[in-house]
This record gives sequence, structure tokens and C-alpha cells, in this order.
Amino acid sequence: MELLTLVIILSLALGAGLLIQWLPQRHQPIPPYSQRAPFLGGGTPDTHAWNRYHIRYYPMTLLLIAFEMEMMFMYPWAVVFVEKGMMAVMEMGMFLAILSVGIVYAWREGVFRWQ
Amino acid sequence: MIESLASLLMVTVVLVLGPYVVAVLDRLVATPTGAMAGDVWLGPLSRAAWLLTQQANATEAPDWQAWRLSPALYLALAAVGLAVVPWSPTLIATDLVTSVVLWGSVEALATVVIFLQGWSANAVLPLIGAYRYVALGLSYILISMFVLIGVALPAESLQWTQVVTAQESLWNVIRQPLGLPLFLVVGLGLTFWGPLNLADSTDLAGGTSAEVSGPSRLAWELARAVMLVAFSAIAATAFLGGWLGPWLPGPVWVLLKTLAVLALLLWLGHRLPRVAPERCVTLMWVVLLPLSFVDLIWAGVLALWA
Repeated sequence: MELLTLVIILSLALGAGLLIQWLPQRHQPIPPYSQRAPFLGGGTPDTHAWNRYHIRYYPMTLLLIAFEMEMMFMYPWAVVFVEKGMMAVMEMGMFLAILSVGIVYAWREGVFRWQ
Repeated sequence: MIESLASLLMVTVVLVLGPYVVAVLDRLVATPTGAMAGDVWLGPLSRAAWLLTQQANATEAPDWQAWRLSPALYLALAAVGLAVVPWSPTLIATDLVTSVVLWGSVEALATVVIFLQGWSANAVLPLIGAYRYVALGLSYILISMFVLIGVALPAESLQWTQVVTAQESLWNVIRQPLGLPLFLVVGLGLTFWGPLNLADSTDLAGGTSAEVSGPSRLAWELARAVMLVAFSAIAATAFLGGWLGPWLPGPVWVLLKTLAVLALLLWLGHRLPRVAPERCVTLMWVVLLPLSFVDLIWAGVLALWA
């Protein structure tokens, strides 16, 4: 029942989002190619859209994955936390401390810097 | 059965009226700064009608399916967020045992959908907006997770209704003072609103939606507004005690608290300067993420002590 309501809400919103776009546009002609150049602040498109763009979040992504793995451990941990008491605090504190060293290392290596 | 239908109706009403409320509140909040011209009450409606009748833009070789799907998907994610909000102990559309995790997945998938919007136009400026958003999304998601786990600790559950019940003695906004401010940062990031509008900012001529006009633009703006409402409702549930409150019935309290968080977010959006994209990532990982660790440890120690 819970999931049925969720699926109904999901499909209602998805359908509404598509209908809002499809209904008014279904009879509109697509603009001709001369009008379809990308907007570049008045410049001409000399390069491909997938031109080199130096955003270096690959090391940051690795750091994120380390924390995401921890999250998998953390969801069940949150439920039994009060039951386990101080031991749970210590365990997670140690885990977080080790991962925090990773953040400090990544910071030193300039992972969070865009240049 | 009747409860399910009522909650379904509730979510639909919020889906339809939410964007209008966001637009009106945004104009009311912006009026003293003079940032927005036009009628407060009719302005949003006339803008929506104008967008509906406007010609839709096209680029040379866009990914049509993804381009049309991304606003609809963003709206659907926001609707899923609304579905897990408990309006009262029984009036809730989807009361899963893991509804906190479900909300977490909405936040994570939003990054994918917003990247899709910028990627599918096949133009430089939207793509840069999308790249920027991924960097922001990767940064705020962990803060959100730690703050939400902090909320789940005293409840000993990952269910939003349990999270609310655990706040009967004291709301989380007082018990975990770092929680709500950090979560508000997440909200501004999730909807790329105000200071964290890196994806659709004016320095990229509109960013991911630079090439979008007409009905698709309307769908994108609607989805963003609904996401803001869904986030406010979740924040009210997690930190402001959800349906708890004297005299008035539960759903009214949830609505009032949601509106309060919404107004605060919109006010912040107009008052705070936009964060420079190159500083934002360092700020999130080096300052705000350790603060969320502190919040979690604080919440944990307090949950054991209480």
C-alpha cells in the first residue's frame, strides 16, 4: 500500500512534468537550423560543447566514495546506536577520524581547489 | 484506505499550489530590496502563462529525450520527497521504515537529473553549469547525510514518523543546534538557490537552463520550486517537530513550519551573496563537513545521556 501510493505520486509528477511540456509544444514547429546555434554571449561556436573544461573532481569523487561506504555502515548503526551505547560512539569516532585524515590529505594535495 | 487517499490528495495539492506559494513568498521577501518588479499576486501566474505560450528553443543536436525528461524527473524526485513527509501520525503517503534513506536517495539522484539538464542541451554554458553542479552536489550530500543520521540517533529509527515522535520532549532544532543551519545549506544546494546558485547563475547566462525556453522552462522552474517546498517540509519534520504543537491539528502545524522554513530560505537567498564556485568546494569539505561530524557526535552523546 505504501509503495503503491509512492508509485502513484511518482508517476503523477512525472506525467505532469512531461504533459506541461508536450501539450503546448506538440503543434509548434522546431526552429530552423540557422536559429539553433548555441547561445555563447554573442560569440560564434568555434569549439564543440565537450571542449576541455578543467574541473578536477575525480580525486574528490574517490574521497566521496570512501564516505559513502561509511554511510552504508552508518544506517544500521544509527538504529542500534542507543542499544550499543558508548562502544558505538567509539567505533564511529575512530572510523570518522581515519576518514578525516583522508580529507586533510586531500586538502593538502589541492583536491578541493579549482584552478 | 481513506488515510491513503487523503494523503495522496494532500501531496497533489502541495504539488499544485507549492510553486505559486514559493513565487509569491519570493516576491514578498524581495520587495524591500527592490529586486523584483511586477504584481506580487498575479506576477507568477502571468509569467507561467507567458512561458506556456512562448516558443520553445532548440539547439543544433540536443539530446531530446533527456532534455524533456530532466525537468519531469526533477519534479518526480521532489514529489517523492513530499510523499515521505508525515502530516500527522497517520496522515502520510509513504510511511516506510527507511524513509530517511529514501529522502537521502532523492538528494543524491537530484545531482544526476540536474547534470542531465545541463548536458542534454549540447552547448557550452549549460554544460559548465552542470559540471559546477556536480562539484557542489558531491560536496553537500555528505553534510546532509551526517545531519540526517544525527536526527535518526535519538529516534533509534530511520522512519520520519519515529523521528517526529522522538522530538516530543524537545525539538531537534534546540537539541542539535548545528543541525538546522547545516541542513539549510544543503537545501540551498539541492535547489541551487540564492548563494549556492552555481548551476543556473547569471554569469553563465542561465547555466543549465540557458538554452531552455517556453513550456520546458516552466517545468524546470516548477520542479525547482516544488523541490524547495519538499525540502522545507522535510526540514520541518526533522528539526521543528513536524506535526507536534498545541491547539492546532497536526497537518496545520506541518504547513506552518514548512512555510516558516521556506520563508527563511527565500530570505537567505536574497540576502546572502553568491558563493564563488572555486571557493565553495573547499568551504563545504573543510569547514562544513567537520561541523557536521561535530553535530553527529553531539547528537550521539546526547542520545546516550538522555
